Amino acid sequence: MSIFASPLSVAGTRTSGAPVRTQNVMAAASIANIVKSSLGPVGLDKMLVDDIGDVTVTNDGATILRLLEVEHPAAKVLVELAQLQDEEVGDGTTSVVIIAAELLKNADELVKQKIHPTSIISGYRLACKEACRYIQDNLTIPVEELTKACVVNVAKTSMSSKIIGADADLFAAMVVDAANAIKVLDSSKNPLYPIKAVNILKAHGRSARESMLIQGYALNCTVASQAMPKKIVHAKIACLDFSLQKAKMKMGVQVLINDPEKLEAIRARELDITKERIQKILAAGVNVVLVSGGIDDLCLKYFVESGAMGVRRVKKADLKRIAKATGAAFLTSLTNMDGEECFDSSMVGEAAEVVQERISDDELILIKGPKARTAASIILRGPNDFYCDEMERSVHDALCAVKRVLESKSVVAGGGSVEAALSIYLENFATTLSSREQLAIAEFAKSLLVIPKTLAVNAAQDATDLVAKLRAYQNTSQTKADLANLKWVGLDLLEGVVRDNKKAGVLEPTVSKIKSLKFATEAAITILRIDDMIKLDPEQRGDKSYKQAMESGELYD
Amino acid sequence: MFGGGRAPILVLSQNTKRESGRKVQLENINAGKQIADVIRTCLGPQAMLKMLMDPMGGIVMTNDGNAILREITVQHPAAKSMIEIARTQDEEVGDGTTSVIVLAGEMLAAGEQFLHQNMHPTVIIRQYKEALEDMVTLLEGPLSVPIDRNDKAALANVVKGCIGTKFIGRWSDIAVNIALDAVNTVLIEDNGRTEVDIKRYAKVEKIPGGSVEESQILRGVMVNKDVTHPKMKRYIQNPRIMLLDCSLEYKKGESQTNVEITAETDFTRLLELEEEHVRRQCDEIIALKPDVVFTEKGVSDLAQHFLLKAGISAVRRLRKSDNNRIARACGATIVNRTEELQESDIGTGAGLFEIKKLGDEYFCYITECKNPKACTILLRGASKDILNETERNLQDALQVARNIMLLPKLVPGGGAIEMAVAQKLLQKATHGPYRALAHALEIVPKTLAQNCGANTIRTLTALRAKHANHTDQNSPCTWGIDGESGELVEQTTNGLWEPLAVKLQTYKTAVETAILLLRIDDIVSGSKKKGDKEVARPAEMQKEEQQQQD
Repeated sequence: MSIFASPLSVAGTRTSGAPVRTQNVMAAASIANIVKSSLGPVGLDKMLVDDIGDVTVTNDGATILRLLEVEHPAAKVLVELAQLQDEEVGDGTTSVVIIAAELLKNADELVKQKIHPTSIISGYRLACKEACRYIQDNLTIPVEELTKACVVNVAKTSMSSKIIGADADLFAAMVVDAANAIKVLDSSKNPLYPIKAVNILKAHGRSARESMLIQGYALNCTVASQAMPKKIVHAKIACLDFSLQKAKMKMGVQVLINDPEKLEAIRARELDITKERIQKILAAGVNVVLVSGGIDDLCLKYFVESGAMGVRRVKKADLKRIAKATGAAFLTSLTNMDGEECFDSSMVGEAAEVVQERISDDELILIKGPKARTAASIILRGPNDFYCDEMERSVHDALCAVKRVLESKSVVAGGGSVEAALSIYLENFATTLSSREQLAIAEFAKSLLVIPKTLAVNAAQDATDLVAKLRAYQNTSQTKADLANLKWVGLDLLEGVVRDNKKAGVLEPTVSKIKSLKFATEAAITILRIDDMIKLDPEQRGDKSYKQAMESGELYD
Repeated sequence: MFGGGRAPILVLSQNTKRESGRKVQLENINAGKQIADVIRTCLGPQAMLKMLMDPMGGIVMTNDGNAILREITVQHPAAKSMIEIARTQDEEVGDGTTSVIVLAGEMLAAGEQFLHQNMHPTVIIRQYKEALEDMVTLLEGPLSVPIDRNDKAALANVVKGCIGTKFIGRWSDIAVNIALDAVNTVLIEDNGRTEVDIKRYAKVEKIPGGSVEESQILRGVMVNKDVTHPKMKRYIQNPRIMLLDCSLEYKKGESQTNVEITAETDFTRLLELEEEHVRRQCDEIIALKPDVVFTEKGVSDLAQHFLLKAGISAVRRLRKSDNNRIARACGATIVNRTEELQESDIGTGAGLFEIKKLGDEYFCYITECKNPKACTILLRGASKDILNETERNLQDALQVARNIMLLPKLVPGGGAIEMAVAQKLLQKATHGPYRALAHALEIVPKTLAQNCGANTIRTLTALRAKHANHTDQNSPCTWGIDGESGELVEQTTNGLWEPLAVKLQTYKTAVETAILLLRIDDIVSGSKKKGDKEVARPAEMQKEEQQQQD
């Protein structure tokens, strides 16, 4: 293309109309293809090797896509979609990408039949709204039936596709206990489950089955001095967010003295200030001191002598949580309102036991049985770091799923059951409409079937046959009122049959399903609306641009 | 569309390579097998050493699985994963690094046939997991025998078994004694928890020269330091030891202090003050009448003078870790401020303070301690490379001794336990991956037989027959392979026994690694990892900071 012929004033290429849409759809489909094989209990993992040779083994859709270097703009939308689902729900990242791609593919077919994208878009919107409503009204399993076994099942379902799937019983119980331990009530007495409060530590060694849940807090630190006790029962804990170091004037502050004798006094005072602080703390009966800053060697002796444990460089976030859990005050200084330094016993937190334990070649400090609130930490073990990393991601996903269930108090049946039910319902719904959205809604219904299909394909089962059976059951449940219980029917992928997934305990959080439908629809619509793509040529300049510097990683160093 | 051929749509960056499906699975298995092949010859008493050249031109001579694999640069990501497990094994139990790799490689290979039969990896994995659980219950249950922690001869025998496969096998008696003594020394039991901290309190000092026979374990600590002043005493019996971590010299305060001098006498006074400060520190030390003063920081000439006059030997610039060890060995407390010194801070547990010259350097010995809770192991040997290998071997022996202390249970060695477990598993399973995994265990006796040049097939068949005839359900069949001669031996009382902890860890790691690799069906290389780096970096930095602090 010559410069003169170009309609644009800047150098670049422009494509528009059908080719753009086809390109976008192809790009989306290829992204979905990458993650497709990791869906479901028989999905497999991906190994990602980055440019310096670091290896990541994962089954999590969001992680896979984040690590891929995706260039196509439409494909990037899908990658961001997975990221969004990860942040909002934490689970179901793979399925959201697959649905979005399928929606696009079917929309493209419609466009080729000369239906205007805007009609498709409004059809999709309508279908999505209708689908969400139907899930809420008909497909959820209500609160009263929500027992602990049910929540454990949700965790298991989330894990089933992951590396820890074989040990799902163990981990599901662990995850549910952890989630329950961190429960807090917000101002209007609604329970909240801040997942981040579950501290997950990884240590290679032992086997995955020996991963532990600690009812307390695990810290990746060691005691400051080897002479300190390694185990303290009935611990009284002080959490300090400052350094116990030799007192030092702030930068730029000078002490000017005339009398040389005073010099010595200043030096002595520097040492004494910290000493007094420590003695005040120890006098309150504290025997575990957690400090976010450093502790000078010169102060260690006081701790050693009084048999107290001192831990330095505790992460601030950890320290805050420990303070909350043990009921200790999170102190940024010892100064009180009167400007005097004091430490009284109300600032002390308590725990049943604080112990330093050797795990693999490393040491951890465990704070067990905190007094004020329960807390939970999970220590993951496994043959190597890749395994542990993947376990962490899986446990995180499961925690998110459990959190959603506990907060929203409703679940749906998994294993493609919801998708099949929706597709039947939407097909029927489409026929009731006389507008041109009818076609789009029918396509939407068709697209949803991609989930049971992919599940079946991954399990090396006859997808067509299974999905047909599944749809037949769902159809009966919707047409015959006395057989409504058939709506829980979903796929059993190990046996390759259909079964009642509510009974079998394959459950997923409702929020996850609804959100993933909404996100997928929105993403598909965003891409559908595009009919023109202008790609500017990269600017040719001698010196490096900001973007290049960013890409080569220079800005991070 | 554009008239001609359409430009391809680039979704992924062009430098990304992607492979998927069956090919990846088979490649992973191959990579695992190759890594296992590299170190297969290092298993057993007839093992050979490997000599490795690192990129800097240095040499490593070893038959330790972890040490070998650490030096190898591999491209294939699955191979990297294999190498990692050797490290895990080393850090967790310290021994069995070679067997874990050999086993993991074989377990991967066992899965290959099922992939060819179009069996789904998740099915294989589930059966592997099941088999692992059975293995663990078998090992913890009927197939292991308890051992008395105080039975020295039995313990020595186990450690000997571990050392037998290594370079220091020829000096096994010395090594066994060192290992057991060291572990017993650093064993502490308080509040019902047993702590064996080899890393911190059993220090291995390597001094080139002499011969391996001269290696010994000290009832106390040795540091590579001399007294600060040549006239100080170098031989003190029953020394009173004082440990400091402050400097015995004048040090300015932390805050920025300026002194405005108005009179000329003030300046002299300032200088005097500095002297007085040192003098006061020394007086405070002398008041407690120690014989030796150790400090982590410097000792000024003036302080040396005062201490010399008082007949006190001073050693300066100790490492923190050495200071900790001395503290545990002689019962002293490390003090920072001299004005806070008390009688209880003085360590009197040591029987002898002595400076000796070994080779070209002076070494400070604090030995004959009454109840040392820390020790130094002194290794001698012809060259640095030999010493390095000796240390690695000794570390393994130490770890083995520690494992028995923490979990006093044993399993028969020389491939006997693998055969026994395989036999039990085979009774249970009829077909499929479960059975294949059981057969994979036989790789250990097989490799042992191979490495000593025995007839593999005949030996294995004979061994299998012995195990099949074993009917006692409550004790393991102890027939195994003698790694020297390749003959079948019964590992009864004086045979080869291994700690249960090592074997358990080996099986768990091997099976789980096989699972990890079998689950993969897609490899994408050349992906970016920016997001992760940002997260990872602060954590690393904090760790470094911490190390600097310590």
